[in-house]
Amino acid sequence: MFHWLEKNPFFFSVVVFVIIAFAGIVEIFPNFAQQSRPVIGTKPYTTLELAGRHVYIKNSCNACHSQLVRPFKSETDRYGDYSLSGEYAYDRPFLWGSKRTGPDLLRVGNYRTTDWHEIHMKDPASVVPGTNMPAYKWMFTNIADINTAFAEQLTIAQFFSVPYNTPVPMKDGSMAVVKMGKSVADAHALALAEARIIVADMKDQGVKDAVASGQIPEIVAIIAYMNGLK
Amino acid sequence: MNKLYLWGIIMGALMLGATYIAVTGTKGGLNDDIINILTIAGAVSLVIITVFVVIKYVRQMQTDTADGVLARETWDGIAEYENELPVGWAVTFLLTIVWGMWYFIAGYPLNAYSQIGEYNEEVVTLTTKFEKDFNEKMSNFSETEKTQYMIDMGESVYITECMICHGLTADGIDGLSTDLNNWGTHASIVDAIVNGSKGLNYPMGDMAAGFASGQDATDIAVYIMNDLSGETGSIAYDNACAGCHGTDGKGLDGSSPDLLVYGESGFIVDVLNRGKKGFIGDMPKFDRLSDKQKEAVGAYISSLNK
Repeated sequence: MFHWLEKNPFFFSVVVFVIIAFAGIVEIFPNFAQQSRPVIGTKPYTTLELAGRHVYIKNSCNACHSQLVRPFKSETDRYGDYSLSGEYAYDRPFLWGSKRTGPDLLRVGNYRTTDWHEIHMKDPASVVPGTNMPAYKWMFTNIADINTAFAEQLTIAQFFSVPYNTPVPMKDGSMAVVKMGKSVADAHALALAEARIIVADMKDQGVKDAVASGQIPEIVAIIAYMNGLK
Repeated sequence: MNKLYLWGIIMGALMLGATYIAVTGTKGGLNDDIINILTIAGAVSLVIITVFVVIKYVRQMQTDTADGVLARETWDGIAEYENELPVGWAVTFLLTIVWGMWYFIAGYPLNAYSQIGEYNEEVVTLTTKFEKDFNEKMSNFSETEKTQYMIDMGESVYITECMICHGLTADGIDGLSTDLNNWGTHASIVDAIVNGSKGLNYPMGDMAAGFASGQDATDIAVYIMNDLSGETGSIAYDNACAGCHGTDGKGLDGSSPDLLVYGESGFIVDVLNRGKKGFIGDMPKFDRLSDKQKEAVGAYISSLNK
């Protein structure tokens, strides 16, 4: 048979295609499995959370922090439930990370709060003695890029059918709606409304003033993102 | 002597020399450790085997000639021999296919193993072990040993979970969070009465400042510290506090905190379950801790002011 294939380039190509296509199917098929659908309780990111996610990526937080809890008791005791693939349905790109210099952050919203993040980002060693995490002071003055976050929302809503402005089921049986603005101004207003709630728990006067004047510093966006990681 | 063997000996000597330098250069060197000696023996035999195998194949390349029947088709004049497969190779190949089928169907039963299943087993094993050890210790301990055991356990949970905000010595890191060394004392009740208290998310809502002041406040604190008994502060308590906490102090069936457990483990367990959005900051819920862990944290924190 192999001699025959070697003498017939067309059928040789067909067989090569079939074999490579099989390998492709093995890779692609699991993505359609139920386990890969969004887990109940997983919501799309809001505008401010997405902006915070961009800050997270920009500062390479994922170089030291993973977002993947493995199914070992030692991990679930410390970080909460092990992660399921459907929880990353709205992560583009996912930020699993491969190295933990710092702790895992997948469920950090469950056990850290706005004011803790504020203190920690300003001076990590004041709350975690001996930490080697640097301070991220510029996040308190840099302004978050809401336009890009909104552009991403528009794109993923249109091309990946991410359910914005649509009810999604939550764990307690209720439905939650994540809003997306209709225009850039609308998106800014939504992000600002979200930022005001976070800033109410913050102490930095500069940040409070900025939000009061309609600007959103990066620290507010990244805290929104952190608090949303549950 | 053949030039090839000469090269082999030179290469072998070089590699052995490099191994010797590398080993003696490390901290500790050979130092008679059996593992080190075995490793060196392995390295030496590897060098010798490598040199001889290389010599064998280089000689074969130099001297071998090929023969046999050529296949009919050629590609630009290049043809292949129609040699039979070597028997050993062919048998191994077929056995591998048979083994593969067996493994796929029977040897590795599909769905018999899952990572989550292993996780669940691990959790059950560790929980059972903990409960067995815990109950065994508790049944052998005297009362003071039991208390001390809970305090020690609470301290280890505290260091992993609470220290990050309340500090290693529970002093609240210069006002970043509540100073737990004063928690559950007369002074902290007076402070709550005078300045109010908030954030436990009870139906009654937050406690405003100034329900009582001066002597009344200190008397009420004495009354609460005595588990709502005695003369001192009883009238002041009924006037200022009973409206929300009830005359018995139990908090009117969950509308407000139970004052009878204040200063004890039970109150801390309540705070851990509810979280506290207090004056200083926002404390998350710690409901993922097990009941025993919460109780232990309570025991540890109540022990701090003593």
